[in-house]
Amino acid sequence: MSSRVLPQFDLLEPRNVADVIALLSQHENQVSVLAGGTDLLVWAYIEKNKTPYVLSLSAIEGLDHLDYVAGEGLRIGAKVKVAQLLKHPDVAKHYPALYQAAENFATPQIRNMATVMGNVLRASPAGDCSCAILALGAKVVLQGPAGQRLVDIDDFWVSYGVTERQPDELAVELRIDDTSSSTCSAFQRLTRVHEDLSKLNVAVRLEMDQDTCKQARIAMGCVGPTPLRLKKTERLLTGAKISAELLQQVAAAAREEVTPIDDQRSTAEYRRQVSGVILKRVIEQAVAKS
Amino acid sequence: MKTKMITLCVNGKDHRFEVPVNRTLLQALRDDLKLTETKYGCGTGECGGCTVLMDGKDSVCSCLTLAVEAEGRHITTVGGMTHEGELHPIQIAFIEEGAVQCGYCTPGMIMKTASILANNPNPTEEEIRKGLDGNICRCTGYEKIVQAVRRASVMMDTAQTRKVGGMRA
Amino acid sequence: MNAKTYVGQSVPKLDAREKATGQAIYAADLNLPGMLYGKIVRCRDFAHAKVLKLDLSEAAQVPGVVKVLGPKDVTQKRYNSGVLDLMVSEGLGEVLGDIEDQHIFTDYVRHQGDAICGIIAESEEIAEIAAQKVKVFYEALPVYLTAEDSSRPDAIQFDERKPGNRAFQLPEQMFPGNAYGWGDVDAEMAKADMVFEETFTLPKVKQCQMETHSYVAMYDQTGRLNCWTSTQMPKCVQPKLARLFDLPISRVNLVSTTIGGGFGVRLGMICEPETCAMAMAVPGRPVKVQLTREEDWLASESRHPGKYWIKLGVKMDGTPVALDARFMASTGAYFTHASGVPFTTGSWLTGMYKYGAVRYKGEAYFTNQAPSGAFRGYGNPQTNFALEQIVDRACNALNIDPVEWRKKWHKGTGDDGWCIGVPFSSCALDECLDRGAKAIGWNEKRAKYANQTGVKRRGVGVSVMNHTSGAMPMLLEHTTCTVKMNEDGSVVLMISCSDMGQGSHTVLKQIAADALGMPMDEIHILNNMDASGFDIGSHASRTTYVGGGAVIKACEDVKRQLIERASIRLGVDKEDLEFKERQVVARSDASKKLSVKEICHSGVYNFTNPANGETNGVPGQIQGYASHFPSHNSPPFGACFAEVEVDTETGEVKVLELVIAHDIGRAINPMAVEGQLEGGAHQALGMILTEETCYNDAGLCRNNSFTDYKMLGPVDMPRITTILVEQPDPIAPMGIKSVGEAGPVNPVGATANAISHALGIMFTEAPITPERVLKALNQ
Repeated sequence: MSSRVLPQFDLLEPRNVADVIALLSQHENQVSVLAGGTDLLVWAYIEKNKTPYVLSLSAIEGLDHLDYVAGEGLRIGAKVKVAQLLKHPDVAKHYPALYQAAENFATPQIRNMATVMGNVLRASPAGDCSCAILALGAKVVLQGPAGQRLVDIDDFWVSYGVTERQPDELAVELRIDDTSSSTCSAFQRLTRVHEDLSKLNVAVRLEMDQDTCKQARIAMGCVGPTPLRLKKTERLLTGAKISAELLQQVAAAAREEVTPIDDQRSTAEYRRQVSGVILKRVIEQAVAKS
Repeated sequence: MKTKMITLCVNGKDHRFEVPVNRTLLQALRDDLKLTETKYGCGTGECGGCTVLMDGKDSVCSCLTLAVEAEGRHITTVGGMTHEGELHPIQIAFIEEGAVQCGYCTPGMIMKTASILANNPNPTEEEIRKGLDGNICRCTGYEKIVQAVRRASVMMDTAQTRKVGGMRA
Repeated sequence: MNAKTYVGQSVPKLDAREKATGQAIYAADLNLPGMLYGKIVRCRDFAHAKVLKLDLSEAAQVPGVVKVLGPKDVTQKRYNSGVLDLMVSEGLGEVLGDIEDQHIFTDYVRHQGDAICGIIAESEEIAEIAAQKVKVFYEALPVYLTAEDSSRPDAIQFDERKPGNRAFQLPEQMFPGNAYGWGDVDAEMAKADMVFEETFTLPKVKQCQMETHSYVAMYDQTGRLNCWTSTQMPKCVQPKLARLFDLPISRVNLVSTTIGGGFGVRLGMICEPETCAMAMAVPGRPVKVQLTREEDWLASESRHPGKYWIKLGVKMDGTPVALDARFMASTGAYFTHASGVPFTTGSWLTGMYKYGAVRYKGEAYFTNQAPSGAFRGYGNPQTNFALEQIVDRACNALNIDPVEWRKKWHKGTGDDGWCIGVPFSSCALDECLDRGAKAIGWNEKRAKYANQTGVKRRGVGVSVMNHTSGAMPMLLEHTTCTVKMNEDGSVVLMISCSDMGQGSHTVLKQIAADALGMPMDEIHILNNMDASGFDIGSHASRTTYVGGGAVIKACEDVKRQLIERASIRLGVDKEDLEFKERQVVARSDASKKLSVKEICHSGVYNFTNPANGETNGVPGQIQGYASHFPSHNSPPFGACFAEVEVDTETGEVKVLELVIAHDIGRAINPMAVEGQLEGGAHQALGMILTEETCYNDAGLCRNNSFTDYKMLGPVDMPRITTILVEQPDPIAPMGIKSVGEAGPVNPVGATANAISHALGIMFTEAPITPERVLKALNQ
């Protein structure tokens, strides 16, 4: 049963990343990291999270950088809020899929509080930013006792709610792959009402040469235990000219590739059927804007 | 640590007190400071009844913010919208447009409106509606709330007080 | 008479300023000295179980815990949290079969969230920690989630007084054949050229008032039980608590706090019994109980879900020769409103059209869901969904315009109303239909959307309704009002009617100001349950109609007294006196006059001259009083038009526009009336598109939060045009009719019919989700 009161915990307030790592090592598996709090605190109220320690990133200098460098890509610090994406001109310009995901993400209040990294770490199949990031291609920078390592976003989510991050590691940065003038991307989602968790979301990144797609990345959420890459469907697009006929094939392939389930927000049957429709629409949207 | 001495700046006034670290900003406002204008409606960041402004501009859910994390920020509640007894244009617009029924969502709605207009002084209807997402009202169907936000934006524009006036953030 | 009148003006709500500044006090905002915190420990993991053992020992030992209370530590009296027993005579109550079947704390769990025990502690945090330490051992029982399940012969019996788990059916003594209606349905149905038959499924919809349930109670040193609550029925909860705790009513001080939305969920008691029981256990100390949003779903009532079977027989010319219907409702774990809703559901049905014959059967069955009860509209949205769709199906088959059919066959002035035998006193439905059709562009759009083939298809639909203004004659209708004249001529209006946010206090004050010809700001409304007399409560769309009637009568009583006194003082016949600008003036000689203020002042400050024994005026402070029982229920009608766009690839429905035309009689406060219709539309569209409380097979609620139970948001709501049709009712005070309960009714049927128009498919199950739309399109 949920509560109006948060469970008791000890608050850790390290001042730098080294101290974070030390504390994470010291209290292995007993620490929840607090940045935005919009998932963590809800989970605490409903008794899903009861770690004895909560480690706040508030006192740490840095981790709040949001920088785009041409030729390298976008770097998103662990403390960057979703709302910040909407205020950064380079996000809208170079990463329409991420911008559109952020625009539709939760509510204005939650966008002001929730971090982009938190959405990725939550490892929910419904995460809107996660879906866009998977399509765009990215690396998660993890820092642990042995230093930093980079994990490709394609390998980051292990299963529902579980990531490659080890208990003694802090996810410090997201690095989104760079885009070029021939890149286009877009994000769409289906919800019960406008403000809602997605019942299905999809993002694409296409490298285009005129009407021909040279390379494609398709990410779809709520159709498997984590956000999914639809690699078989991507292959249909690679090297192909975008046409109504091709999009019909792509839609059919997507329906074959997804593995949705029934839940409170929708049914497996519905998700399977609309997966192709939404994919077709998001490709049209991406191409139209490129 | 289990408790912490904090200083909360609410509506321009500093309050120094000790809180358990698991206490939310909402509880600190309501139970410690007895500023009950900010409401509990769901505890999951969905209803917006607990909306307050951080640093004069950003709306946040005080039910999902630890009190200790709000230290050093300027917090504005609806209690900080009136200045020397004079209502803020947003409050006047809500009253006169019939945007207040049961009133339970109203403090959060007004703070959300302040945030919408602080970031975008002349929002379109679509921008208003999207901006109001995250604040649930079960009485009005949002019709008169949308009208009130529009009217407030005109009033504030006319008064050339684009900055959220009256607020001592 | 006086220059300024208030009736008909969109006066801002009296409490809007308090609410917009955050100063209105809701129960949760109370902080009393020495206040303790109560926590109700509920069953989380079972929907049907016996408590084998309850171990409170560890919880009791948590430092800061003052007391723990199990089922045996509180009164053993059973109660019914509903208030229907107070609204009907004892005899009728027996016929209806209402029972008391709830315990404060129980050892027999009938639904998830049933209250097991209570903890009283020095802080909310401590109470919460102790609650985690309560140990309960259960024996699980089979779970029944629908009326079909629980009515099976082998099902466990919930209550020995209700065999077959049938909590209610229309009683034979009142309704021969357990049916409501008229004529020989079987014989008339046989004459039909075409028959349309369907079973509709209605969802369990939640009120979702924004204020979560909160209470403070204190058993004080004078032996009074004080309870601060936002109930919509203070004068019914007061005697209910008195009875439950064996106290005279004078020792129950019920304080009405600001109501953060009601919509029926606060029609009666919710957790007042648990809170007061805890307060009784710690005399002298206030106890505050605040529920979570989750508890709201688990512990308070919803709209009745169920199966609505309907069969309509028509002639080729559209004549509705017969209608046969049966609503089989799930009333949930306890009786509460099991008799009320299944009856009224049928009354809105019989009240609507001139059927040759009609037979309605209404039943309610116990299930292991949270109790169903009152929700704004009280059975009418359910009827609207079924009836308005079956009518459209017939119109389509007969190629008759749905608006024209309704204009021809709806009941009107002089026809039997929703209560057979009480005729409709007025009906402005034709004007509602005409103006609504024009506003939405009915004829053009109906034709334009006839044969669409694209991905996105549009449709327009219509729905009509009838409702009531107060529940007379089925239920007690009584409101008292006292108008106390202060010595300066200002007024205290004492009345027990609740203001749930709809603005009823504002409207009552507007009425009083006009009745007394004085400014509103010199009238104070006192809503004190000790000081004010009886009022049955805020339900059945009655407050303006019945409360307003009481205010007018009490004001007339004041005026009578003022004229009597002026007559004595001026030496003028009473018949020759009239009110003019707060003065009593002789018609025959305008120089003969006395101000209201002077009469009131000299009545209070009435001095005797020691020299001659004379006094300055007539002694005595003036108070007007009325104990008002309305003679009718002046039912309102309404028409709604909806335009929708359906995405045939995703099944998504977007409501583009609603036009709501309402037969208001006369609008005291047009802005408030609009607010009722617009807010009601939000609830109706939720029921038809997204809202439904769901349970898993174990009877555990799957969506008890705003994350999982979705209402339409500001972006989803359509453009709403409201049309207030003002044809004053000849019986009603000032010609007024009700609006509040009408709000969530009509957009249900109009939207369903619009979807049907767009797709050519009728949906029998609400809400009409994209999943259901796409499934139907595939078939």
